[in-house]
Amino acid sequence: MRRETQNVLLVLLGGALLKLAFSGTYLRYVKESLQPWLVATGAVMILLAVVAIVRDLRRGPTVKDTEDTGHTEDTGHAGRSPWMLLLPVLAVFLISPPALGADTVNRSDRNAAQEAKPGNGFAPLPADQVVPLTLGEFVTRTAWDDSGSLNDRNVRLTGFVVRKDGRTYLARLMISCCAADASPVKVLAAGRDLGGLPDDQWVEATGRVVPGSATRDNAYVPTFTITGVTPITPPEDPYEG
Amino acid sequence: MLCALLVLALVLQDRLVAVLDVPVLRTASTVFVAVCVQAMPFLVLGVLISGAIAAFVPTGALRRLLPAKPALAVPVAGVAGVALPGCECASVPVARRLMQQGVAPAAALAFLLAAPAVNPIVLVSTAVAFRDAPLMVPARFVGSLLTAVVMGWLWTRFGKAGWIAERALRRLPERTGTSRWAVFAETARHDLVEAGGFLVLGGLFAAVFNVVVPAAWLEALGAQLLLGVLVMALLAVVLALCSEADAFVAVSMTALPLLPRLVFLVVGPAVDVKLVALQAGAFGRSFAARFAPVTFVVAVLSALAAGVVFL
Repeated sequence: MRRETQNVLLVLLGGALLKLAFSGTYLRYVKESLQPWLVATGAVMILLAVVAIVRDLRRGPTVKDTEDTGHTEDTGHAGRSPWMLLLPVLAVFLISPPALGADTVNRSDRNAAQEAKPGNGFAPLPADQVVPLTLGEFVTRTAWDDSGSLNDRNVRLTGFVVRKDGRTYLARLMISCCAADASPVKVLAAGRDLGGLPDDQWVEATGRVVPGSATRDNAYVPTFTITGVTPITPPEDPYEG
Repeated sequence: MLCALLVLALVLQDRLVAVLDVPVLRTASTVFVAVCVQAMPFLVLGVLISGAIAAFVPTGALRRLLPAKPALAVPVAGVAGVALPGCECASVPVARRLMQQGVAPAAALAFLLAAPAVNPIVLVSTAVAFRDAPLMVPARFVGSLLTAVVMGWLWTRFGKAGWIAERALRRLPERTGTSRWAVFAETARHDLVEAGGFLVLGGLFAAVFNVVVPAAWLEALGAQLLLGVLVMALLAVVLALCSEADAFVAVSMTALPLLPRLVFLVVGPAVDVKLVALQAGAFGRSFAARFAPVTFVVAVLSALAAGVVFL
């Protein structure tokens, strides 16, 4: 592969990373804390490519030719591998893959939040009429909080609609590093028919837990009796941390 | 050529998007971009360190820092891995640069295997994930270090320099008249272009396996210890998680006992599809074809040994 092509590819890849970082779409793939690193990485890539381009131009054709033979020898073996760099560039600029959703949730029977430590105790919930909770915290409390702090409390959950085996769930994905390690957390929807909403539709749902519904046998998926549901646009960060 | 490809891709964009509009392919493409985006900063960190060593560290200086005896240099190099905070993508270009600087291949390989697993960031994230089983941290440290040291010693005893691609060992020509900064920029750029391609290849494999391997298997495994160990070891290879995140994934697999999960944590940073692709790029295919399977076996055994002691 020619040196010029390599440099152009580096500029494109660096540009793709900067685009992700500045447009906020990076949140579909990685955690918020990676943003400054993505900016730095994109900048370094472009800088390295520009330095090489400028040096090549300055040295003029004669010197460059001898340099080039040295490099074709060097990259001769790995030859075509740099072409792979084009794939993420095309993926980011043309396809822009969406955040993970229902398909990923249905690939596992696990319910991620169940592992939180029962021994640590749970802070009391605020006294509001309706308590906003993340799905992760909600599921963890239903599975491990013996004090029944959620019973008879109205909570508001944010997630997307998922269907499996004729049941409807409200779900969200938790990531600890990037989307490759996503694990699902979900509640079984009851009380209101969500039939009109397609899979992956984001909603805010208000309702109550059915006490004792999260058991070992159902992988700690609690039943959530929904009293009110509002379709919403997907949140900027689709994942829970 | 590049222009032609870009124009073609633009023209076919709609068709491309339509083809990928199947849930499985959408998931796979998201995971692919996620693995690449997550790993690129670490790869760039690695090539910058590699470039800095090439430009500013005199040839031979690193070799003189290490004990002359390979048997002793290997563990020292392994422990030195503590100093490279990052995941496995950073350690490949650095290890290759160490070889080019005259460090014994066995020591450089020990560094390569140890660095992603024993650095402070990874150990802290392991401690955070396994709050309820704090012994996972020393178990992981010892298991990974043991893997690195055993592999280094095995290389000293049985390794042949001929397996490593000649380009990986070639000394950099002493360039007089070129400024050090120019050497730095050129080395980093060259390493980045080359390793980046292989990283993308590894990300592609990881994405495919992510949607092909049914995660539901795991839940069925339950308490079958031997099967659990094997499956977790293979899962570590195909999922190619970064070593800073794998502890959080392992902790969520509550259906399994601790030992298989320790195996997952020790095997992952030493050998996974992304890493094998990077190694094949840096050291050549005939090296990777021998090194990766042996590392896999050694890592599983080391993890079991560490598990027996600590868990």
